[in-house]
Amino acid sequence: MSETKLSESSEVVIRTNKLTKEFIRDEFHVIALKDVNIEIHRGEFVALMGPSGSGKSTLLHLIAAMDKSTGGEIEVLGENLNRLSDTQIAHWRNVHVGFVFQQFNLIPVLTALENVELPLKLTNLKKAERLEHATTALKLVGLGDRLGHFPRQLSGGQEQRVAIARAIVTDPQLILADEPTGNLDAQSADDVLTMLSRLNKEYSKTVVMVTHDPHAAKFATRVRHLEKGELLPEGVTTTA
Amino acid sequence: MFKNFPLIVKNCWRNRRRTTLTILSIGASLCLLGILMAVYQAFYLSDGAPEQALRLVTRNKVGLAATMPQAYEPKIKALPGVHEVMVANWYGGTYIDDKPEHQFARFATEADKLFTIRPEMKLSDEEKAAFLHDRRGCIIGKELADKLKLKDGDRMTLIGDIYPGNLDFTVRGVYDAPIDNGVFYFDKAYIEEGLPDRRKGNVGIFYVLANTADDVPRIEKAVDAMFANSPQETKTETESAFALSFAAFLGNVKGFLMVVSAAVTFTILLVSANTIAMSVRERIREIGVLKVLGFTNAMVLGIILGEAILISAAGGVIGVFLADLLAAGLRHGPDYMEQLHTLHITTPVAFLCVAVAAFIGLVSAYIPAFQASRIPILSALRNTD
Repeated sequence: MSETKLSESSEVVIRTNKLTKEFIRDEFHVIALKDVNIEIHRGEFVALMGPSGSGKSTLLHLIAAMDKSTGGEIEVLGENLNRLSDTQIAHWRNVHVGFVFQQFNLIPVLTALENVELPLKLTNLKKAERLEHATTALKLVGLGDRLGHFPRQLSGGQEQRVAIARAIVTDPQLILADEPTGNLDAQSADDVLTMLSRLNKEYSKTVVMVTHDPHAAKFATRVRHLEKGELLPEGVTTTA
Repeated sequence: MFKNFPLIVKNCWRNRRRTTLTILSIGASLCLLGILMAVYQAFYLSDGAPEQALRLVTRNKVGLAATMPQAYEPKIKALPGVHEVMVANWYGGTYIDDKPEHQFARFATEADKLFTIRPEMKLSDEEKAAFLHDRRGCIIGKELADKLKLKDGDRMTLIGDIYPGNLDFTVRGVYDAPIDNGVFYFDKAYIEEGLPDRRKGNVGIFYVLANTADDVPRIEKAVDAMFANSPQETKTETESAFALSFAAFLGNVKGFLMVVSAAVTFTILLVSANTIAMSVRERIREIGVLKVLGFTNAMVLGIILGEAILISAAGGVIGVFLADLLAAGLRHGPDYMEQLHTLHITTPVAFLCVAVAAFIGLVSAYIPAFQASRIPILSALRNTD
């Protein structure tokens, strides 16, 4: 595993080198990401911004190893993701990454507690321990009184908080959020962003969030902009 | 897999109406399959009742309608290994009318040998003595007595058809036996009295009782060899095989059972495949979420296959239960198919049915499950079905 490392630096959590993602859609050759170089350090809360099609979600998916790059290299938490098998990536993701979706993506037939317990089923924890961890995570997001509720019995904001609890229940070092407030009202969005900020500040989680919303980006410690698949220099914003 | 069992159960139950209907349709199919398996086992794989193990039946090689001379009886009895030989003629006739409830097997036989040949018949010594001392006496199985509401001392009349004239009988005993519990026996001498000389001494079948089970195959060959090239050649077979020959009147029963079983199995396959394919298609997105959480392709495959197996096996259990109820009804089937009278969904058949159901679930779900498990995460998450 050590030979896959690009860097010995423990401070750098995410490092990409000329990361490129191209694909062919119908007869069109699309460059979703082009030669992206970025470093994200431990404890940062980075917002990736840009217009639709700028490649910000593609970059997030590559960081989460949900997709494969077509060029360049990507190292996350010391692992060169291009060299891991599908099974190794699945295990790596379970241990190190928590993912928050725009559309919550809770399993509708499971209660809030069972949804949060789900990632722990891949660990060696016993049932009682899993439930204890899941309960703790739900209490942390303020849903200690909603353990037995199904997703349909929760508001959008509550669903997203369950999703955050699910993302943090394995105590991952890295939390990735793809438009986490996109489907929420202003108050719920603020609650969710405050929660991500708390996780970053109080629990030292590295957070990478994709957002359109400048207000959401204010919760981040650093903002990077993408445009047409290219990462703009630090401090440069998009025109959109 | 065990950790994911609650998830498998909840996934099965997410569309209750569809799952219930699927389980019921598989159950109905498996009920039919269970009955077919039970019939197949009873007809072709069962050793028959223990009492039948020592008995053989000799009939005219031409068919059951052709007779043999009674002179064969002492020759058969003289063969090594033969303990006793008894004549039995199908009487036919009509009791009261032709209604189904009045149909039953009637045999004219040698009363003094009947209890030696059929030791499993249980009736009191008084009843046996009464039967043996009354040429117009008859004994009837308990099942038949209950059906016709007859008891010792009751009188009954059979209207002759194969044999001329009407015969009056007095019920002298009601026997209980594990097989042939609905048969009417009387002394052959009673009908011989009224027959013209040319019809006397004709025998429909000989029941042959062997000394030991080892003697049975040897006697089977020896009897037929003895009468080979005679005007009335014989066909000797075990009593179980003889009973099975009645089923052959229906045609190629074995082939029929296998074809119907295959059709039923294929139907279940389609039902299960359709259900699983629909179920998987509806939650491609969730499969993507599971993968994001760290579930591997193999785990996703296992979860979907587990659902299919669980649903099919549940259908199998219900099918076995229904088949057992149906078998109870079939046990009151026609008297000439005595295998049906002991028809049961045995433990091996029950397990086989559930195993077949589970296997069908596995096979039917494999392709949709495999495809779903291999779908890339982003494709799954973008699915909007």
